[in-house]
Amino acid sequence: MDQDQKRKPHRVTKNKNKGKEKQKGFNEKAFAPRSGRRAERQGRRKVELDQTRLHVPLVNRTPEDEPPPVIVAIVGPPGVGKTTLLKSLVRRYTKQTLTDAKGPITVVTGKKRRLTFIECNNDINSMIDVGKIADLVLLMIDASFGYEMETFEFLNILNAHGFPKVIGVLTHLDLIKKASLVRATKKALKKRFWTEIYQGAKLFYLSGVLNGRYPDTEILNLSRFISVMKFRPLIFRNSHPYLLADRVEDLTPREEIRQSQGKCDRTVTLYGYLRGTNLRLGTKIHIPGVGDLDMKSVEILGDPCPLPDVDSEKRRRLSEKQKLLIHAPMSDVGGVMYDKDAVWINVPGSFTRGNIDVPQGEGEQMVMDLQEAPATLEDAVSKSQIRLFGTSSKGLTLGRSQSAPSDEDESGFEDELGSEASADTEDDSEIGSEEDEEDDNDNDLVPSSEALQNTGRTSRRIPTRVLPSASSKFQEAITYAESDSDLGDSEDGAHDPNQRMFVDEEDPDVDIPSDDEDLMDEDEGDAPRWKAHLAAKTQASLTTRRSTRKNWIKLIYNTNLTPEQILNGDSPDPAKTDDGKGIIDGDEDFFTFKRASDSKAEEELDITKEPLSNEELSKWEDEEMLESIRHLFITGEDAPEAGNERQDGDSDGNEEGLQDGVREEDHVEDSVAEDTPEARAAALAAKKEALKRKFDEQYDDPDADPKSDFYTQKKEEISRQLSLNRAEFESIVDKAARALVEGHRPGQYVRIEVADVPCEFINHFDARYPVIVGGLLPVEERMGYVQVRIKRHRWFVKTLKTNDPLIFSLGWRRFQTIPIYSLDDHSIRMRMLKYTPEHMHCYATFYGPAAIPNSGFCTFNSLKSETPAFRISGTGVVLDIDRSVKIVKKLKLTGVPLKIFKNTAFIKDMFSSALEIAKFEGANIRTVSGIRGQIKKALSKPDGAFRATFEDKVLMSDLIFLRAWYSVTPRKFCNPVTSLLLSDKDNWTGMRLTGEVRRAEGLKTPTNVNSIYKKIERAPRRFNPLVVPKKLQAVLPYASKPKLMAPQTKQTYLQKRAVVMEPEEKKAIALLQQMKALRKDQVARRKEKKSEKQEERAKKMEREERRKGEKGKEKKKEVMRVIGQKNKREADADEGRGRIKRKKS
Amino acid sequence: MSLNASLITFSGHQHLRLRLVLSILSGKAVKIDKIRSEDKNPGLRDYEISLLRLLEKLTNGTVIEISVTGTAILLKPGIIFGGPITHECPLSRSIGYFLEPVIMLAPFAKKPVQLTIRGITTDDNDLSVDLFRTVTLPHLQLFGISDGLELRIKKRGASPEGGGEVQFLSPIVKQVKTLNFVEPGKIKRVRGIAHAVRVNPQFSNRMIEAARSILNRYIPDIYLYSDVYKGSESGKSPGYALSILAESTTGAMHCAEATSRPGVAPEDIALQATRALLAELEKGGCVDRKHQCLVLLFMVLGSEDVGRCRMGEPTTRTIQFLRDARAFFGTSFKIVQADPENSNCTQLLYSCYGTGYINANRTIA
Repeated sequence: MDQDQKRKPHRVTKNKNKGKEKQKGFNEKAFAPRSGRRAERQGRRKVELDQTRLHVPLVNRTPEDEPPPVIVAIVGPPGVGKTTLLKSLVRRYTKQTLTDAKGPITVVTGKKRRLTFIECNNDINSMIDVGKIADLVLLMIDASFGYEMETFEFLNILNAHGFPKVIGVLTHLDLIKKASLVRATKKALKKRFWTEIYQGAKLFYLSGVLNGRYPDTEILNLSRFISVMKFRPLIFRNSHPYLLADRVEDLTPREEIRQSQGKCDRTVTLYGYLRGTNLRLGTKIHIPGVGDLDMKSVEILGDPCPLPDVDSEKRRRLSEKQKLLIHAPMSDVGGVMYDKDAVWINVPGSFTRGNIDVPQGEGEQMVMDLQEAPATLEDAVSKSQIRLFGTSSKGLTLGRSQSAPSDEDESGFEDELGSEASADTEDDSEIGSEEDEEDDNDNDLVPSSEALQNTGRTSRRIPTRVLPSASSKFQEAITYAESDSDLGDSEDGAHDPNQRMFVDEEDPDVDIPSDDEDLMDEDEGDAPRWKAHLAAKTQASLTTRRSTRKNWIKLIYNTNLTPEQILNGDSPDPAKTDDGKGIIDGDEDFFTFKRASDSKAEEELDITKEPLSNEELSKWEDEEMLESIRHLFITGEDAPEAGNERQDGDSDGNEEGLQDGVREEDHVEDSVAEDTPEARAAALAAKKEALKRKFDEQYDDPDADPKSDFYTQKKEEISRQLSLNRAEFESIVDKAARALVEGHRPGQYVRIEVADVPCEFINHFDARYPVIVGGLLPVEERMGYVQVRIKRHRWFVKTLKTNDPLIFSLGWRRFQTIPIYSLDDHSIRMRMLKYTPEHMHCYATFYGPAAIPNSGFCTFNSLKSETPAFRISGTGVVLDIDRSVKIVKKLKLTGVPLKIFKNTAFIKDMFSSALEIAKFEGANIRTVSGIRGQIKKALSKPDGAFRATFEDKVLMSDLIFLRAWYSVTPRKFCNPVTSLLLSDKDNWTGMRLTGEVRRAEGLKTPTNVNSIYKKIERAPRRFNPLVVPKKLQAVLPYASKPKLMAPQTKQTYLQKRAVVMEPEEKKAIALLQQMKALRKDQVARRKEKKSEKQEERAKKMEREERRKGEKGKEKKKEVMRVIGQKNKREADADEGRGRIKRKKS
Repeated sequence: MSLNASLITFSGHQHLRLRLVLSILSGKAVKIDKIRSEDKNPGLRDYEISLLRLLEKLTNGTVIEISVTGTAILLKPGIIFGGPITHECPLSRSIGYFLEPVIMLAPFAKKPVQLTIRGITTDDNDLSVDLFRTVTLPHLQLFGISDGLELRIKKRGASPEGGGEVQFLSPIVKQVKTLNFVEPGKIKRVRGIAHAVRVNPQFSNRMIEAARSILNRYIPDIYLYSDVYKGSESGKSPGYALSILAESTTGAMHCAEATSRPGVAPEDIALQATRALLAELEKGGCVDRKHQCLVLLFMVLGSEDVGRCRMGEPTTRTIQFLRDARAFFGTSFKIVQADPENSNCTQLLYSCYGTGYINANRTIA
């Protein structure tokens, strides 16, 4: 806060005794209710308040032990200070200054928390996407300017897609000089902020910028607020897996790109932390702005920005080195920036080798390391050896060392060799893949040819693992990673790109063997565990009867055996192991049935009940057999013990490729069986536990549980299920196998490989636009008619029209489609509306990708940034998805009578053929005057005429009409918004309106001659006089008889009489006439005078007005002069600080 | 944007029903070829065609293409619609064949299903309507599908002439509950239905007598009902059958049944059914072998939590189902021994991570 702003001084309270009173403590009597009724009311109120605090318990699928980083989005109009805030926050957490902060930046902020910062640019597409994934939004508002349209647009987008936590941040408060004005501004902005979000929403104030950053204390405060923020799961994110890509790479072979001149579809890998629910391979993903894509593979990588682990956990405080962890591949951390297909190393002016005393950045260090590499990768690979087992001393000799196929690491469950061997194969498969990639990179950044060989993509990924001479930061990173791999298993290392890089980059012929030794060590550490029992197990398997244990998972999912073979116990043919793929894209047949089974299958029916075979059932005639299942009934005693000698089922260790729970548990059991002090202690504990349970059962009242209300029950149920979810697959050690069963869990750092990505995604890649990978549910992959409830946004200026294209943001997707609006007409029909109603919801039906009912959306008419007004045109919710629609619009068919009988008439001009009439037989028709009727039958002549009956006689002049309903279907148009594929990402143009096209092309609207308004010439209608027949007149009563009389021709008496007046009468009349004349004259004169006066007054007023106007002009001049001066001052100030408002981005 | 749901291809006529069900639920198109292509009478059978017609009635927007020879079909599923449906089954298969897929689909329809289905109510191949009513529907209750779930047997119809009629009413649900059923418990009661149509009503009593002769030794809580349909409700052919089920303390159910065959005494039929039940009980588990697929399917469709169930060894059908389920939903099961200490125990523990299937067909408001 600037010094010139004055705060109110603290006022000491006058009442000195207040504090003393409080010290005495709570006076219970003072708050005791006066009456019983009051007490009851108070109690009820309290309970009600308690209830309002409760909310529906939601399952939080984000794991608690290793959650993904919290996404903190910084949103605001350009020039508000987003980048400054981002840099300040990164500086606060990592002590590093970023010069070019782009893309997501992940930092470790606490023992259990990491944050991913992302700056959202002003493009509405980015705002939509960021709004869908952000956990916390720092909404920045320029206090010197006030709220801007984008802020409100963003808040409305959030409203439609699930509201994350929002903290408002007011900046540029230093530009307001007057303290009172600052206070008033804050108050006004806060009031509006609260109405937009909720009463009491947090609003932060940031004063001026120091050294390109906000003041440290204020940033510290903000970071504290962020760190204590709690999140409630949002339903959409809790049912979809998603990922914010913090790194994008193009894996397409260079040759292919060259041949197609960069136009071929690309294979792209996306890196990021998984969020939401488990991501399964085989489901589709959607990248907003790109489209629906299939995942080729998902690979778990080592966490690039891990949480503090066990040994650092013991320490009380976060040490400084962990605070330094930052993962921001798209930004330039330490002078290195990862682009889509290159890595950029910023080097300061003078760069020489051997200059060790100068602190070097990460990038420089990498270049130096590359230069120091004595041999190329090819040499390294040729010298390295591949060993099948970690324990085997001699390597395999192969013609080509890189022969391992790279798709091996996709194979589901590992083969019999166990995890060590598989780790080995993965190792060399990766070497192979690097070889593949190596030739496709024409790096023009690093000059030396040696380096050219070595800067393969895989080696570039890793900023850590450098020589001991590296700066302290990197050393820490090394120790960190090593400790991590120590904690994890050997697989970890194989997946960890860090280690991979370590293997091939630095000192291959030294490092690869050492790496293998690592594995060997682990093997030897591992070996006693299973080898020790091996002999015993074989013995056991020989002595005990044949165990029927099968590895069902492997038999079912990893072999090609028919179900019958599996049940009969045939051993799997190792050559025929399926790679576990059932989904076939083309016409390939994976499920090839064997001939033998086919011929047998001819009699086989698809039956549920198995046929009863008398041989099998005959064993139940035996009394002993009948007795043997007595223990299954409540009347029977417990099951007979299986015997003390444990018949170990693990004898066939070879068959157990997958180290599943059974094995693990068995090992535990084995150790327990041994008479160790641990085992005895465990036994004792178990005994105690049993005793305690018994005691509890006897003395605890199960109903007495105080908090067993619905809410707590639900909560407990949820937590029980979550703990089961965690525990169930924990026993599967192999990560790939585990991922196959349960998918990739949120919190893991994964690499998703996606094939057939449009080349524009890579060509026009811009790190400032977020790349989101959203998982799709099976429903969302399909297209159909979606019915939604929609309301035009009250801030949108135009109404929405049926059959005008509209851009929807629904689920992950953004697409343009053509809706038809409708309203429910008396629950009978859906009636089409031409325009959306004002201030009211209506239905809209469109063709597009289906979404789960109840998901919210918002719509736009245009996504362009130059749209001046509010862009969100409507909001609503999905109601229904279907494959057909029932929307109708009214259609009136008109006809005219051809011939009229009594109540029957022939009608023409309504239809054109007898066939049409046949369809409408029995339909209700009506005249304009309201006479109802029915269509009877078509006439043979003229074509299209029909006979109809009416309830009364119609006239020839009557118009007959038939009210019908014509069903309309929305056009099958759906155009995904592919904004990420554009070079100019802010200006995506979809289908335009006809008017827009005409305006752009400069065309005139063609006029239909029939549509032109003309004066309607209507001949005057003549009505024949009503003639009542004489006969009828005669029988009518007098009152009803027409009284028709001819007009009188003779003068009446009153007309023809002469009037002679008396002299007095004459005098009186004359006097009256005179008085009237006088009066008339008086009025006329008065009127004249009045108008004269009015004229005078008008003149006076005019003079007055003129004088006033001159004064106002002077005043205006004065004001403008002041404003001009102010503007000039501001401009000067801006130039001074280098801030150019509204010119950025 | 390629929104074409990927196509899944199978060969052979076996396991047709479950594949169609999986396809409709997952929304992925399925192509099945080589349907009895080597047979003397190649192509789809009449009951399979009838099943496809039933599925078409149940859904909206489904496209079924059958090749000229009838040896290949392509099903592009629409949405499950539901509502009142009537279906006539051919006499080659019983109602159970058609009812089984419908039961799997009905909870996810747009409108509650009211299916009236006519044909043979009991035969040797498929579950009889009695077992559907007493065993299959309680299995759905494990997954929270209970209110309004009903099967009414209007008329019985024995093979070969049929003439039975049942009405199946199913509610719709938003999402099925996750199953955690690992405690088989002990058998606490035995129930059964002995029915006889167009034969001496005494037959059902004779069956009951015979079944009791075996079962009485175990528990006293045995009720075997004699259910005789007369007149127009008894269908067109004579026949009788005994369906029995055993329920455990934890609600696990096992069932068996046997139907009349010419030249076999009712007592023998009853003994056969009873012994089949005992064989089933010996296999153990929380779910009997006839309902494995149903339970596993609903476990796959459960919310995104781990569902567990203890069952006996999988049948051939179940094994193929597990494979197919992975092709359609990407879900594989973890299958381990339920009781690792006891090597005699053949029961397995099936656990999977549900796909979080939500009934998107349901209309709100």
